[in-house]
Amino acid sequence: MFEWIRFIAGTGFLATGIVIFAIELYGAFHYDYVLNRMHMAAFGDTFGIGVSLVGLMLINGLDFTTLKMMLVILFLWCASPVSSHLIARLEAATNEKLEEHMEVEKE
Amino acid sequence: MSRKKTEKEYEKTFACHFFRWLHGEKDLYVGQMEMRPQEVYQESKEEAEKRQRAKNILLNKIYGRKKSKSIKYLELFYRLASILFCGILIYLLLLTVSWLPPIGVADRPVNNEVSKRYIEKGLEETGAINIVSGMILDYRAFDTLGESHVLFVATVTVLIMLRLDKKHDNGTDLSIEEAEANDRNYEPKNDAILQMSAYVLVPAIILFGIYVILNGHLGPGGGFSGGAIIGAGLILYLNAFGFQKTERFFTEKTYKWISFGSLSFYCIAKSYSFYTGANHIESMIPKGTPGAILSSGLILPLNIAVGLVVACTMYAFYAMFRKGGF
Amino acid sequence: MDMLANAKNTVFASALIILAIMLMLCLLRAVLGPRVADRIVAVNMMGTMVMVMISILALKMGEGYLIDICLIYAMVSFLAVIVITKVYMGVYRERKSRKKEDVNV
Repeated sequence: MFEWIRFIAGTGFLATGIVIFAIELYGAFHYDYVLNRMHMAAFGDTFGIGVSLVGLMLINGLDFTTLKMMLVILFLWCASPVSSHLIARLEAATNEKLEEHMEVEKE
Repeated sequence: MSRKKTEKEYEKTFACHFFRWLHGEKDLYVGQMEMRPQEVYQESKEEAEKRQRAKNILLNKIYGRKKSKSIKYLELFYRLASILFCGILIYLLLLTVSWLPPIGVADRPVNNEVSKRYIEKGLEETGAINIVSGMILDYRAFDTLGESHVLFVATVTVLIMLRLDKKHDNGTDLSIEEAEANDRNYEPKNDAILQMSAYVLVPAIILFGIYVILNGHLGPGGGFSGGAIIGAGLILYLNAFGFQKTERFFTEKTYKWISFGSLSFYCIAKSYSFYTGANHIESMIPKGTPGAILSSGLILPLNIAVGLVVACTMYAFYAMFRKGGF
Repeated sequence: MDMLANAKNTVFASALIILAIMLMLCLLRAVLGPRVADRIVAVNMMGTMVMVMISILALKMGEGYLIDICLIYAMVSFLAVIVITKVYMGVYRERKSRKKEDVNV
């Protein structure tokens, strides 16, 4: 009985994670400029993988594999925002026409 | 053209684009992606002169063509001899290939009893749960030794081709080297966010690499993959902090000593195994219980040696492509 | 517990199929995007989806050690983004400064 509760909870989390990925994908096609798309991608990536892997951990039960999945989540939560920061820096430095899309502070 | 929409509105609809594409009237690439229509490449005179000058400098430095006539004869002999050598090598290799057994014969060496024995008796003879690890580091350890040497030779080859010497001879030599060093003048350095995350992530990655190396005989992994992970951790450190800080602990001397030490240790350890095995003496290395970390004889130390060589090689390749030396 | 195993297999298989379709659409975004940063973002997204697929496969086949591959893949995609942005910014700025020199001279 307990196993069924765990399984259904885990499936719920996994389905939520996949829905978040789908929203991220839709957002990547809907916006016009690359920085908006990047915001959508970064947000969807970190949140989506967190929720999906928590769901998989619930389906699996307490095991060594579960601890490894927690390590994957921690690593991604540290590394993915840094990737977004670097891509945004690249875009801001190489775009000549940045003033068309946003306000730029004069240094 | 349509009656219900104006010309400008029609040009924005999907149907217009589709039919234009269908009839081949639209150029797919201009204006859409990042490509520009290509123009003929015009080489200015200064660039051609610069290229010719650089080539002459290189030829004079390496071949010393202007220096003496005997070097010219030596060059001719060298070319003929190399062609002859390659020809003989090709002939010998093709001769060996023609002795292989044809496809489909029942008593080919692939179908003999060796693989069955490896699978059935692998665990009790080597003591490793991961039979593949047991095979490459125990049954066929000689091949792995050759493979580590191949890695070493590859690094030496890349070093020959990409390395910049630090000697300044006269004025014209500086142009090649200065140009290389100025490649990295404009890159962004010392990004604070990257440095903070590197503080946290690099120890974790190196620790994970050590875990993969040490568990080579209990699960998938082993020396090669663990070494690649450690190499990636070092590359991350280099990207975040720059060359000056990395040279504090990883210089050329470190690389030489680590490679030399690991390969010699591998040779000596395996020579002991070959000697005792060939003369039917009982070797004194304990096999331990399968499943524990300190088990399966020599597989653990050999994994560590291979892992170190691979890690150094990965870092060396990256540094050579970026800077021309390390 | 046969029903439980059947249910698990169904859930895993359907999740894998949906993720595979989304992967193809991400590739479309990588081809279409007009700027360089578009493509880097799309490849990052593909990498994350592949990571979830590997975890699901690891549970489906019952082999626990395949999660190590997930970790390695995360690290490799992170490193790729770092190196690409660094080199591209360096080359762009160098070309711009050279053009400025030519214009000034």
